[in-house]
Amino acid sequence: MSAAASSSQGGAEGGTHPPGEEEQGESSAYYECNICLDTAKDPVVSMCGHLFCWPCLHQWLETRPNRQMCPVCKAGIGKDKVVPIYGRGCTKPQDPREKMPPRPHGQRPEPENAGGIFPGFGFGDGGFHMSFGIGAFPFGMFASTFNFNDGRPGPPPPASPQHAEEQFLSKFFIWVAVLFIFWLLIA
Amino acid sequence: MTSMEKRLQKELQALTKDPPAGVIVNTESVSQNMSEWIVDLYGAPGSLYDGEKFQLSFKFSPRYPFDSPQVMFIGPNIPVHPHVYSNGHICLSILTDDWSPALSVTSVCLSIVSMLSSCQEKKRPPDNAIYVKTCSKNPKKTRWFYHDDTV
Repeated sequence: MSAAASSSQGGAEGGTHPPGEEEQGESSAYYECNICLDTAKDPVVSMCGHLFCWPCLHQWLETRPNRQMCPVCKAGIGKDKVVPIYGRGCTKPQDPREKMPPRPHGQRPEPENAGGIFPGFGFGDGGFHMSFGIGAFPFGMFASTFNFNDGRPGPPPPASPQHAEEQFLSKFFIWVAVLFIFWLLIA
Repeated sequence: MTSMEKRLQKELQALTKDPPAGVIVNTESVSQNMSEWIVDLYGAPGSLYDGEKFQLSFKFSPRYPFDSPQVMFIGPNIPVHPHVYSNGHICLSILTDDWSPALSVTSVCLSIVSMLSSCQEKKRPPDNAIYVKTCSKNPKKTRWFYHDDTV
């Protein structure tokens, strides 16, 4: 209370008083970060006018990468939609957003199953990945059977010992596959 | 002091200095453990809960305020309300999906008082019996569906 009273007295002289204890009162609350509630460090302001420390806002944007909303008013927000603030006392004006650049999302390791059979399908939802993988499993097997000749040497001439050997091997593996599928069915 | 403790300290200071009507933080519980608060809540005058006293438990993870606090009713008096289960769990979107780091203990308390005040008829959620039997101890582990905005 006394701090506020002396502040209003000092204000009558045209605001020439040095920033001292009076400034620590209610007026400094205007410059508090909406996340850490401390005086904003590396301040940035959103298009909707809300003030944050850049490290605080950056951490929040990383926490919810697919729902980038202003923590205060839920307006759209993003790295390129905030304005850095440079006060006069700031000796080396550097864009706070450059100090801590958000890591590009492509460089972060993907969750375990993301590389699966069809790496192009980034649906993002874990449940979907799992069911899709199981559904696609038999196709993967057939695909390898049908693509047998791709980029490989042609079959050896008939009646050669190699031919007989390959015939035996292919029959053997077909039976292994049949047994495997049978086992899958009864298991 | 971690950023979480620093922020909680500021919230505690503001809440004890200038508490909103019907919200009283139990400073004894807080002084023992900064990451677990107990807040006394009084039903708003004119509402169905006028004069009733409730207790809310807040548990903060080290990632607070980026992570929402775990909030539930505790103690002998759990409000009978369509969004409050008899074990104290609260179905309120700002406690999970719609959490924002600009929210605070005070704003969560006010939201809950307001949720109680807009109630027209005191009754438990329709799935109370099965939920209370099957749910986790931590309400944040429940997959909540927020479908009813009327109460």
